[in-house]
Amino acid sequence: MTVSRRHILQIGGGLALAGLAQPLRPLADEPIEIWMQGNADGSHVWFDPVGLRIKSGQTIRWINLDPGNSHTATAYHPQNFEHALRIPKNATPWNSDYLLPNESFSVTLDAEGIYDFFCVPHEHAGMVGRIIVGRPVNSPADEASSLDISEAARFAFPSVEEIMNRGIVRRI
Amino acid sequence: MSFRIAAAIALAAIALPAMAADQVEKAPPSGAYKKVSELVKLPDFLPGLGQLFVDPKTLPAGPFLAYDRDGRLVSTVYMLPVEDLSNKDKRFDDLAAPGGKVDHVDVYFNAGHPGVEKPHAHVVLWHVPKADESRVAAK
Repeated sequence: MTVSRRHILQIGGGLALAGLAQPLRPLADEPIEIWMQGNADGSHVWFDPVGLRIKSGQTIRWINLDPGNSHTATAYHPQNFEHALRIPKNATPWNSDYLLPNESFSVTLDAEGIYDFFCVPHEHAGMVGRIIVGRPVNSPADEASSLDISEAARFAFPSVEEIMNRGIVRRI
Repeated sequence: MSFRIAAAIALAAIALPAMAADQVEKAPPSGAYKKVSELVKLPDFLPGLGQLFVDPKTLPAGPFLAYDRDGRLVSTVYMLPVEDLSNKDKRFDDLAAPGGKVDHVDVYFNAGHPGVEKPHAHVVLWHVPKADESRVAAK
């Protein structure tokens, strides 16, 4: 797995992104974007898309497009705040740390399976997401690991079936 | 002469309490207030709220003092965790209110952010008219 973190310096590019209604469909070898978003008063926050199916070796880039808040992209893993494992056992966990508006963080996912992730300050509010690389060979959402997370987060995950059928799942 | 000294002492007695109070009209406020964006990783200017200052000892409730882009005080904000508001044994008493005259009040839910991670209510005491809330709007 490869990880990178950068600040979007090209203001024009940032504005262009902010003006679009949904994440761009990437060209070959380009990162797939997941947007971190929130409404004006901060009462609702979310990842968009919330569910994705990708191929092994593809890169995900989380970008914070919420002008009034900080967000993280953090894998469910015991190394991250002692959360239960909800990524493949042979995958490396990641934690972006707080991203300010227009900052981004990238991870390349190689190991096949289901990856669940969350936003540190907003897991309570259900800001979580799920990526399936290739086939869903692991099953992280078992009863034990589900007890570890808030009810709002538990109900926010799209089902494996929905992701496998649709490829991309959006909630807005 | 003694009258002048007495008058000076009397004036000082009147003036000192005011001097001892924190200056909050213009950013940065005096006293123990710190810029929120220097305490936690949050944008320096929050659309809808402005630039926030808080005494860290008062977290999570605050008061948070909110300023517009010209450094003028626009509101005082309290952040009250929802779980505390539904806890019969939890109270928020004697919260400081240094901002002066209140024009109107907004109360709304916030999903959380660095500094006050738990879902909470924002109680916003606006010191400016409704029309001037635009001073802290997104650009």
